[in-house]
Amino acid sequence: MAAEPPAAVELSGITKRFPGVVANSDIHITVGRGTIHAIVGENGAGKSTLMKILYGMYRPDEGEIRINGSAVRFTSPQQAIGAGIGMVHQHFMLADNLTVQENVVLGAEKLYGIGGKATAKIREISRQYGLEVDPEALVEELGVGDRQRVEIIKVLYRGAKILILDEPTAVLVPQEVDELFGNLRQLTAEGLTIIFISHKLHEVLSVADAITVIRRGTTVASVLPADVTARELATLMVGSELPSPETRESTVTTTPALTVRGLTVLSAAGRTLIDGVDLTIHKGEVLGIAGVEGNGQAELVEAIMGMRPAAGTVELAGDEITAWSTRKRREAGLGYVPEDRHRHGLLLEAPLWENRMLGHQTESPNSGRGLLTTGAARKDTERIVEQYDVRTPGIEVAAHALSGGNQQKLIVGREMSHAPKVLIAAHPTRGVDVGAQAAIWDHIRQARHDGLGVLLISADLDELIGLSDTLRVIYRGKLVADADPATVTPEQLGLAMTGAAEQPSPAVERISAAVEELKKEAPKGEQA
Amino acid sequence: MGKEVILRQARGMQLLAVASAAVLLLGVSACGGGDDDSGTGDGKTKVKVGLAFDIGGRGDKSFNDAAAAGLDKAKQELDVEVKDLAANATESENDKYERLKLLCTSGYNPVIAVGFVYAGADPATGPVAKAAKECPDTKFAIIDSVVPGSNVASLVFAEEQGSFLVGAAAALKTTSGTVGFVGGCDTPLIKKFEAGFKAGAAAAKAGTKVLAQYISTPADKCSGFNDPAKGQTVAEGMYDQGADIVYQAAGGSGSGVFKAAKAKGKLAIGVDSDQYNTADAAVKDVIITSMLKRVDVAVYDFVKSVSNNTFAAGTLTFDLKKEGVGYSTSGGKVDDIKPKLDEYKQQIIDGKVTVPTAPTS
Amino acid sequence: MKTRFDWVRLLPPLIAPLGAILIALVVSSIVLAVGGKEVFPTFELMLDYGSQPGSIAAMLDKATPYYLSAVAAAIGFRMGLFNIGVDGQYRIAALLAAALGGASFMDAVPGVVRIVLIVLVAMLVGAAWAGLAALLKVTRGVSEVISTIMLNTIAGGFVAFLLTTDKLGVQAAGSNAVTTPILPKDVWISDLPIVSGTKDGVFGFIVVAALVGVAYWFLLGRTRFGFDLRAAGANPSAAVASGVDAKRMVIAAMLLSGAVAGLVGLPQLFGEQHAFTESVGGLGFTGIAIALLGRNHPIGMAFGALLWGFLERSAQILDLEGIPKETVTIMQGTAVLAVVVAYELTSHVTKRLQQKRVGESVATPAPTGVSA
Repeated sequence: MAAEPPAAVELSGITKRFPGVVANSDIHITVGRGTIHAIVGENGAGKSTLMKILYGMYRPDEGEIRINGSAVRFTSPQQAIGAGIGMVHQHFMLADNLTVQENVVLGAEKLYGIGGKATAKIREISRQYGLEVDPEALVEELGVGDRQRVEIIKVLYRGAKILILDEPTAVLVPQEVDELFGNLRQLTAEGLTIIFISHKLHEVLSVADAITVIRRGTTVASVLPADVTARELATLMVGSELPSPETRESTVTTTPALTVRGLTVLSAAGRTLIDGVDLTIHKGEVLGIAGVEGNGQAELVEAIMGMRPAAGTVELAGDEITAWSTRKRREAGLGYVPEDRHRHGLLLEAPLWENRMLGHQTESPNSGRGLLTTGAARKDTERIVEQYDVRTPGIEVAAHALSGGNQQKLIVGREMSHAPKVLIAAHPTRGVDVGAQAAIWDHIRQARHDGLGVLLISADLDELIGLSDTLRVIYRGKLVADADPATVTPEQLGLAMTGAAEQPSPAVERISAAVEELKKEAPKGEQA
Repeated sequence: MGKEVILRQARGMQLLAVASAAVLLLGVSACGGGDDDSGTGDGKTKVKVGLAFDIGGRGDKSFNDAAAAGLDKAKQELDVEVKDLAANATESENDKYERLKLLCTSGYNPVIAVGFVYAGADPATGPVAKAAKECPDTKFAIIDSVVPGSNVASLVFAEEQGSFLVGAAAALKTTSGTVGFVGGCDTPLIKKFEAGFKAGAAAAKAGTKVLAQYISTPADKCSGFNDPAKGQTVAEGMYDQGADIVYQAAGGSGSGVFKAAKAKGKLAIGVDSDQYNTADAAVKDVIITSMLKRVDVAVYDFVKSVSNNTFAAGTLTFDLKKEGVGYSTSGGKVDDIKPKLDEYKQQIIDGKVTVPTAPTS
Repeated sequence: MKTRFDWVRLLPPLIAPLGAILIALVVSSIVLAVGGKEVFPTFELMLDYGSQPGSIAAMLDKATPYYLSAVAAAIGFRMGLFNIGVDGQYRIAALLAAALGGASFMDAVPGVVRIVLIVLVAMLVGAAWAGLAALLKVTRGVSEVISTIMLNTIAGGFVAFLLTTDKLGVQAAGSNAVTTPILPKDVWISDLPIVSGTKDGVFGFIVVAALVGVAYWFLLGRTRFGFDLRAAGANPSAAVASGVDAKRMVIAAMLLSGAVAGLVGLPQLFGEQHAFTESVGGLGFTGIAIALLGRNHPIGMAFGALLWGFLERSAQILDLEGIPKETVTIMQGTAVLAVVVAYELTSHVTKRLQQKRVGESVATPAPTGVSA
């Protein structure tokens, strides 16, 4: 896209060093006004750091930022907002119990007050940019796509002309993604500029006007979507061939490893979060659960782990464990890779070897007869660091010092070290760099080959399809559909995840029919 | 999630805890303070008097101030060097012992301990007894308690006798037939005041109703000696129940009692010093008399006895006979009944009337 | 590799308290200067007096209950429980234990047995009182901060109610204080003459305090229970996910904390007053301050308790020289507040240092998930 000077955003020679690490080095990006500019790179490549610099959260050590031609030096996000830059974060920052209008106005009361004038302004924005949202609606009643629109309205309300969207599609199903892209195009048509951060290549190719690739903290290429294929882009991103999560030959047996019957979970307020879920995972089987986040996946996992009261029965390798405590379940061979490793998987301030004990503190080599056996635990931690390629200078390092991928490798290594019968893996590769991702997949495949049953929950549909032997779709706390990972495409899965199969029963047949139909006209998915 | 909520703590709590701990620490010891430095210091020949105050120290307009007055008088008239130290609210018996020991090892002789807290839980092994053992050549005095030791003088008062007289005054002056007693702390010592007051009231006018209440107990560290607001509340309650004269034996809380009397248009009786002269000018007119406990006399006499080498160990009771207790007439509100009161006084001195030291009911 | 990391890990626990004490000294210097007192002679005076043998013995005496109180608070702190109720727990525990130990029906029981009995009863009562707060928390979700504060007040009421001559209290001849019956001599724990140059001994109970410190260290650092407790404090949700039973943990930690709190009043009971009296209070709150100052570390808290004892002891001399001893109170308060701030600062620096070192040695881009 020929950008008429001056460019909306011009970054030149941006370098940011964290103590001992160069997070960004000599970055050059020019974003033309009224364009969608994608910045791609694998996790940990330095995209987020760069955006935090542009948004005033970090100050660059070197280099220059120009907004609409004039050099700026932000020391806080407030200044960036003042210069017309808005950030839509990956995780929504909305108060559920407030209305859309209240959420938008919150913190910006000085602009248009909090009454009718503000409402009128919101309506004006939503009309002008085609962002349909009812200002009076409660946020908790909104779907994910709507919430994202609220976030966008929030930054527009504050006068943003340049929008940064950080992985905006991570939480959306494909249909919602399309809707978002429609919105983005309309925004640029109105003269706004969008910086779009992603690592999903086919999305980038379909929506961006220009693409900048970042690898290892620096810009390696600036290309136009018409000039590259997804594979070329991927190669630019990782500097080598992409790994694939695909599982080849089946190792599924007929011996049930984990059987769940009629599992029902209620919220504290009495709302049904998990509604009569039945599932069986056999030895050597990976059962993938697809679903839009917030449809009960976390509750399902926590109920199986015994962290949450639930009705129904859970059987582990023939033992009825419904009444067992979390500890007993773990001792009996239930491994757990939690969705949020910082919240559920690690003691960030503690050294790696103590983190190696966490979750298995009652088991050898961590303890015996009530006393910790720190020597043995340390030694075994060395082994895990070695075998699972945890990049660390030593095991006395606190967990927070490691990168996300290395933390995750430590967790996977720890869970695999106690010969689990069943592994509950929630988003096992989220926030993990490509190399570590491949390693984690390999470990899961190897364990599956050895007879491990795996319950896999992931938002990465490629990972789900590639790794699972069986796929189930969860929607509003119910398993609403099955899919065959050998044939299903991400788009079909995405449709099922929106609850399209919900209405009349039998649900499974409906979705199968829908999937069949979709297959015929399916746009070929870039399945790298 | 349900379970972990129990464990999850607001991290802010930690700061809160820190702040509150700090506030508690600061608040709790924010008393004590003012002390005089002895002016002239020329000498070995001079007697150096060390005095350790009870909690509150100088400026409590009551007990401690009475002791201070005696000390100041001794300093002026007997030409002695003086040093006084105050106690902390949170300190232990050991701290009190250390304070006395610091005084005696720093060359102060005699050393006066003001208040029964210096006797300790077990007077035979408490702070004064221990310090006296540690400094056998130093003469010690303790006020309001009896402590054994060959170098210890125990200066105690017949508070019940003085209280008897003001009790009689109250009974003679009341128009409602109901009078009140507010004690600072529910201890045997203060009970002596109550006992005397009740006996005096009953003797002067049979059937006089006496309401009695204590602001605090030893369990809350006798905070009632230093809580004017609470003193006021308690006294207001008594006035509302029909009492028209309230006798306070509550140290610093007494000012609250006077305030209540002023507000309700009623009367009150002071304690320890002549409070008509020491109390706030705004409330002095409610004070018809005060039960005098001449701690100043005791302190002065003791210092004098040491300086002219007539120190005697053992218990010394300051009663009506020795003018160690009595009643005040400042303000002229009891002038009309003075003959009657003096008659009771003589009867007690003569032993014709014996005043109980513990309330009967 | 390992050794290179050690100094980085040791940084905050050492620098933070030292920095805090320095800040406290500066603040109290300002206070002194503003008050027209000479700064350095004052500190010198304190140091001189505080380092005399008699003062050292007194410092150890003071530090003994402070240390016990700090350990009691620290047990809760380590799992994120704020037992503000040490004060109430030790008072009611000491009262009941002293009353039992001094009761006339115990006359025939040998002294040693009585001592053991008193210690056990004190621990049990302390634990039970703290257990009430734990029960309220796990069954009703009542914050232990609120409930222990309330229980302090209730304990005060109980003590006042029970410590009267017609119930558990007696009045020694010549005394105005109501106390529990004075323990016979064979139930006293005699002072240890461990400080040379003074006749003053040190509470024999200091041995118990030291043992409690060792037990605390062992329990937290070497046992599975201690690991569970620390995990629950460091990251409650991760602890639950690791199989820690939150409710049971809350109860266990509170009971332990209360049991140690029950010991707080005993050094004075056995070594000083030989009876329970209400002349002493506030040891529970001092313990919280010392736990914070010592960062819940068994040795750190020992230093904290000694420092506290030293400051209080040397404050006495200030009075004699006409310098307000509140200077010391200001010093103590500032030190506690400063140590929290200093610890946050140094741990932030340490975090950065560690990340830097990890970054250097593995040479990958900055851990984006951890920064910010």
